[in-house]
Amino acid sequence: MSLGADFAQLAEDLSPEDVRRVLSVFEGDVRRLVADMVAAGHTGDVALFRRVAHGLAGAAGAVGAKSLESACRAQMSRDDLDPASLPGIAARIQQLADAALVELAAFVAGLDGQSRRT
Amino acid sequence: MTDAPARVLVVEDTPTQAELARIFLTGMGHEVRLAPAAGPALALARVWRPDAILLDIELPDFNGFELFKQIRAEGIDSEVIVITADGSHRALKEAMRLGAWDYIVKPYNKLALATPLGQALKKRGLERQLARVEEEARPSDRFQGFIGASPAMGAVYQIIRSVAASKASVFITGESGTGKELAAEAVHKSSPRAGREFVALNCGAIPRDLLESEVFGHVRGAFTGASADRVGAAKLADGGTLFLDEIGEMPLEMQVKLLRFVQTGTFSPVGSSRIERVDVRFVCATNRDPMLEVQAGRFREDLYYRLYVVPIELPPLRERGGDVLAIANHFLAQFAKEEKRKFRGFAPDAEAALVAYNWPGNVRQLQNVVRNVVVLHRDGDWVDASMLPPPVVRLGTGAAAPPPLPPYVPPPPRPVAEDLAPVPAWEPPAPIAVAVAERTWVPPPPPPPVPTYVPAPFVPAPLASPPVSAPLPPRAPAVPEQTEIVPLAVMERRLILAALRRTNSDVPRAAALLEINPSTVYRKLQMWRAEGLGETD
Repeated sequence: MSLGADFAQLAEDLSPEDVRRVLSVFEGDVRRLVADMVAAGHTGDVALFRRVAHGLAGAAGAVGAKSLESACRAQMSRDDLDPASLPGIAARIQQLADAALVELAAFVAGLDGQSRRT
Repeated sequence: MTDAPARVLVVEDTPTQAELARIFLTGMGHEVRLAPAAGPALALARVWRPDAILLDIELPDFNGFELFKQIRAEGIDSEVIVITADGSHRALKEAMRLGAWDYIVKPYNKLALATPLGQALKKRGLERQLARVEEEARPSDRFQGFIGASPAMGAVYQIIRSVAASKASVFITGESGTGKELAAEAVHKSSPRAGREFVALNCGAIPRDLLESEVFGHVRGAFTGASADRVGAAKLADGGTLFLDEIGEMPLEMQVKLLRFVQTGTFSPVGSSRIERVDVRFVCATNRDPMLEVQAGRFREDLYYRLYVVPIELPPLRERGGDVLAIANHFLAQFAKEEKRKFRGFAPDAEAALVAYNWPGNVRQLQNVVRNVVVLHRDGDWVDASMLPPPVVRLGTGAAAPPPLPPYVPPPPRPVAEDLAPVPAWEPPAPIAVAVAERTWVPPPPPPPVPTYVPAPFVPAPLASPPVSAPLPPRAPAVPEQTEIVPLAVMERRLILAALRRTNSDVPRAAALLEINPSTVYRKLQMWRAEGLGETD
């Protein structure tokens, strides 16, 4: 299943080595920010939740993980965010993030294959 | 993109985006620094002076627009490109209102970054080029803060222009007050390093134990009192110019360390084994003859040859002919404006005296003399010879002051100007100039031998005294004819009180007589009051 991740622009702008480096940083960002988001959901901290969603949206947008980016942007711009709803939203975003990381791993594997062929 | 390499500061709190920007920018050949928040970004911008700043608006400590305002308030002129996920009209309007060169909406690719950045850097380069052309096109009596069109100074300007583009070390010599630091700044401002830091260090004014730390910085715990890491002048001047004034005062053990730095471009902060590399242009200055210092063993010969690559010798003011009047008029306009006086220029008798005097203290002395005149004389459009301090008029001969001149009738308006119009070539006004010039300056006889100093117990003055603002009663001269040797602090106090009596407690006039700053007099009076000494000696 494709979640709309489009890493092609990265591959166009960067060398494979740089793509790997950026995606590695992205993976670290995703894991950290998703954990922060889940924690903000548990404590019902709406402001922190928005800030984390902003960071996650920025990171996802930078590498082309579009579904994850738009989900985060949709939540951070909502005026009616309710503390009680945060754990559920965080869980959905965590699923999208996991999916993006799976696509990412496939993309990196493709890069490795290209490197071996060349 | 083939832009000239530039310094770009990326202010971005999300590591993925910061890393992506770093890779894009280094790929374009630029030098990149990252800051994850506004606070570190401001600290870095102050020291590193980037050519461009990529500024995220949503930052963890405070808003990027606030950072932008602070950057401009501190005079940091980097081109700013705002990077934001908020593409709303309001945010972009605010960015442009603050003077951003452009904005980029996230997410962005390499081309979306390269285009506005390339344009911003091109505009910055053109502005600098224009400033250099304007500087070169100015009348030849002005050059990078210098005033004067004498042949001696013309030669100095030419050397500075010729050497500016190079990285060669420059060694400036000249008497005190001839403008050595100004020359060092002129080298820097005329060079491609003009956009980077000019860091000046007076080697003679820094305690010998602290000099190494001042030049190379130190790490926390390097010595007692080093409670935090400190960046030194060498690091601050990276990409720019390091000016070492009074280099002849540098201790020999420090000269060894400086030599290594000059040779390798590397150094270690005090207390650290970490090697740092910087790109620094060296400019040094001394009022001594550097070769004589080498011969006397006070200055290392190898360091001398490393630094003495392009010498610039600044001429003393007495050898600069009509420059004296151009500079005097400049100071007169400046101080008259500051002190709200109406002076328009110097009368011919004053001009003649200024030109005939030998100015042992050079431009700094001329500056003090003109300030003295402006402070002490409230009325009049023209400064005449009677307003000048006695040493200038009498040329140090101890002769009586010249006979009073008839009231000065000003020639047709010749504005001295607040806008500092070019000063016409100086022509000595015939009759008075001759009269003054004939009184050639003869140095005063040497003082009698000073007897061996025998410290005497200091007896504090009576405490009761009238306030200084009230006229002081007439007293016998505080400094007797027969020189009495007393502690310097006592003599200083006597002189200041004598000057206050002479001027009916007019502090600015007393300070002018003593050729010191009025604030010094106020500070001394306050100190003596605190010590219970009062204002009588």
